[in-house]
Amino acid sequence: MSETLHQLRESARHVLAELGLAAAEPSTWDLVTELGWLLVAVPEELGGLGQGLSGACAFHTELGRGLASVPYASATLAIDAVCRIGAGRRADWVQRLTAGEYVCTPLSDSTQIARVAAGKLTLRGVASAVPSADKASHILVCSSAADCVALVPLDRAGVQLTYRPTWDSTRRLFDVHFTDVALDEPLMLARETDAQALCRALSIQRDLALAADSVGGAGALLERTVDYLQTRRQFARPLALFQALKHRCADLKTQLAAAEALLIGSLDRIGDSLDAPGAEAAAKAAKYLACSMYASLAEEALQLHGGIGMTVEHPCHLFLKRALLNQQLGRRPDCYEPDLADALLGGL
Amino acid sequence: MIGEGSASMTQQQDPELLRLGVRAWLEQNVPRNWRAAMTGTGQDTFVRAQREWFARLVEAGYATPHWPAGWPGGGRSLAEQKVIYEEVARADAPRLILYFVALYHAACTLMEWGTPEQKGRYLPAIIQGDIWCQGFSEPNAGSDLASLRTRAELRGDRYVVNGQKTWSTMAQYADRCLLLVRTGASQPPQGGLTYLLLDMRSKGVSVRPIAQITGDDEFGEIFLDDVEIPIENRVGREGEGWAVAQSTLASERGLTLVELTQRMRCSLGRIAALMQERGCAGDQALRRDLGRLVAKVDAACALADRYLTKRISGEEAPGDASIVKLWYSRTLREFVALGLRISGLPGQYREDFTRGGSQETGNWAVDFMNSYNWTIAGGSDEIQRNIIAERMLGMPREPKTWTAP
Ligand SMILES: Cc1cc2nc3c(=O)[nH]c(=O)nc-3n(C[C@H](O)[C@H](O)[C@H](O)COP(=O)(O)OP(=O)(O)OC[C@H]3O[C@@H](n4cnc5c(N)ncnc54)[C@H](O)[C@@H]3O)c2cc1C
Repeated sequence: MSETLHQLRESARHVLAELGLAAAEPSTWDLVTELGWLLVAVPEELGGLGQGLSGACAFHTELGRGLASVPYASATLAIDAVCRIGAGRRADWVQRLTAGEYVCTPLSDSTQIARVAAGKLTLRGVASAVPSADKASHILVCSSAADCVALVPLDRAGVQLTYRPTWDSTRRLFDVHFTDVALDEPLMLARETDAQALCRALSIQRDLALAADSVGGAGALLERTVDYLQTRRQFARPLALFQALKHRCADLKTQLAAAEALLIGSLDRIGDSLDAPGAEAAAKAAKYLACSMYASLAEEALQLHGGIGMTVEHPCHLFLKRALLNQQLGRRPDCYEPDLADALLGGL
Repeated sequence: MIGEGSASMTQQQDPELLRLGVRAWLEQNVPRNWRAAMTGTGQDTFVRAQREWFARLVEAGYATPHWPAGWPGGGRSLAEQKVIYEEVARADAPRLILYFVALYHAACTLMEWGTPEQKGRYLPAIIQGDIWCQGFSEPNAGSDLASLRTRAELRGDRYVVNGQKTWSTMAQYADRCLLLVRTGASQPPQGGLTYLLLDMRSKGVSVRPIAQITGDDEFGEIFLDDVEIPIENRVGREGEGWAVAQSTLASERGLTLVELTQRMRCSLGRIAALMQERGCAGDQALRRDLGRLVAKVDAACALADRYLTKRISGEEAPGDASIVKLWYSRTLREFVALGLRISGLPGQYREDFTRGGSQETGNWAVDFMNSYNWTIAGGSDEIQRNIIAERMLGMPREPKTWTAP
């Protein structure tokens, strides 16, 4: 990790700790934009900090640690997409989005279909798991059916938002419905092979963002759990003295370290070449391991807290619910393991 | 510290150029059909083959990538070390099992604690083929290593040693032994331990191989009967043996896994091939299990990488090696269990095993049995969990309050 990134990360951790766990969305979002966190991965020549994917993931990790209620992953995916388009329109978009105009990106593979009708591309269907869509000006749509990536203004006729409250209260997800919405040529970011490459790049980044969020959240939750076991006394001794509990914590620590190492390893392997042959598999492995680790760590953490873990005042459940949601975001959740096997079998 | 100063002291090679060199060399030099030749053979043939392969690797400078600068084959950067292990694994070259303790345990301990005379005497001899074994465990001192009872008494300029060691891998072939003995009665018991280097040909040393569940006899008992060890063969001060032994254990737990995780990654192909062979490559449930394993094996490689990085930069913290070992051992068990499951009934038919392979040879029943090497030896999984909980997570130690009823 570069010295710059290390410092950025430290200050992010500090700021978020001050703000408190799962702080309100508006104040956190103001902070994110004021402190320039949206610029982390933007190349220097476009006015960003040039910290690349590792930089973005360092922030996803810190925001995951703090259970931040901001659509940071969704926003940075859109920013990355506009950084990759032709130079003509790029500067304007990058400037707008890094200044705080929010373009949202679905966090799960959606079912919207773009099709050509009467010579025009129109969109129909639903984009799901779109964070804080009510705050966004546009949505980024990747349509594999029509091989296009486009921005769609959310105030366009035929676009309708439905809020879908989730058990995870640290995120606000929406369904975005499209009823024959015409796609504008000026808002088209990529077509055909360029669009396929961009879709792949976005999926890779989304996987890594979710992995990083999970590593951050799991790290924070494990620390809290161990602290709790150190202070809670039963049988006239701290619970942390019981080996049955120590060993479970050690296993959780090991699983966390493994998921974190794999995330860092995948980021190293991918570097800046999101189109390199092994990039997709590396991101899938990281996402799969980190999100399943987070879910099982959170599951254990609640058990280790006993009754207090089931109360709404205690933050345990916030982590658990975020972890369970993370597992369902990204690509279709049950595709990760078979895809990794396919990558291996295919590579032989 | 292994690898310290490596970047500055030897000229660095572009890792990808090194890769081409290593690959070409391995193509020329890995003994043809060594697997077939090492299947169903006795230990003696195996020992001969290992000696020959070791000598070749030494000559090429590929036997000691983890040694520091200034030693033949040493002074490699992280990237170079990785390239060598990756290529060795990729070429499916024989593993240097006979030299395992010499190259890692003995070398790393001496690099860190040895006097200049000890380094000058023993390290070059390792490169020339000295075989070492580790004499730590005793019948009544396993996980509780500090309770060991083999006694050494200083008489003039030599220690006189009496006692028994057990589970000592390759002891029957070893020239020398890393011997942990009791010299004092201090409390806690760790304080009374001293670390000695034993010449296995000394008078009073006898070795008895132990038959293992695989049909092999890789480890043995060492009986020590008034064995004399010159005082200059002591590593560290008297009573400092526990601290010295920690270096030995850390190298065993962490450093050895850089190679073994790469081997494991390459061995994933064996599971894939087995699935094809058994006609179940399309089985969705198996693919799911395989995919899960792939991610875990990748993570094992990544953990070993990070561990090596920390070690090279001097940032290794207590428990780091335990994490690598525990993740590796659990992943290995899952790996061989999947292999055994897929191999089905045919996997239960007794077949000759291969010597000198990785932990995943494709004789799944034997691999399954051997995978306990990593969950028991070098500090069991349970002991690693204690270390992680106590030294990394800061949880309290077990109270020492039990008294026999
Ligand atoms: C293949 C192999 C090769 C080996 N090679 C060598 C060698 O070359 N040199 C050498 O010196 N030794 C060697 N060993 C010995 C090895 O280090 C010991 O077997 C190991 O330390 C465990 O000791 P033990 O066998 O006495 O088991 P025990 O200590 O009796 O343990 C039995 C069970 O109890 C558990 N247990 C013990 N203490 C605790 C605790 N405090 N909390 C929770 N659970 C606990 C253990 O994890 C284990 O599951 C080798 C062992 C094997 C299997």
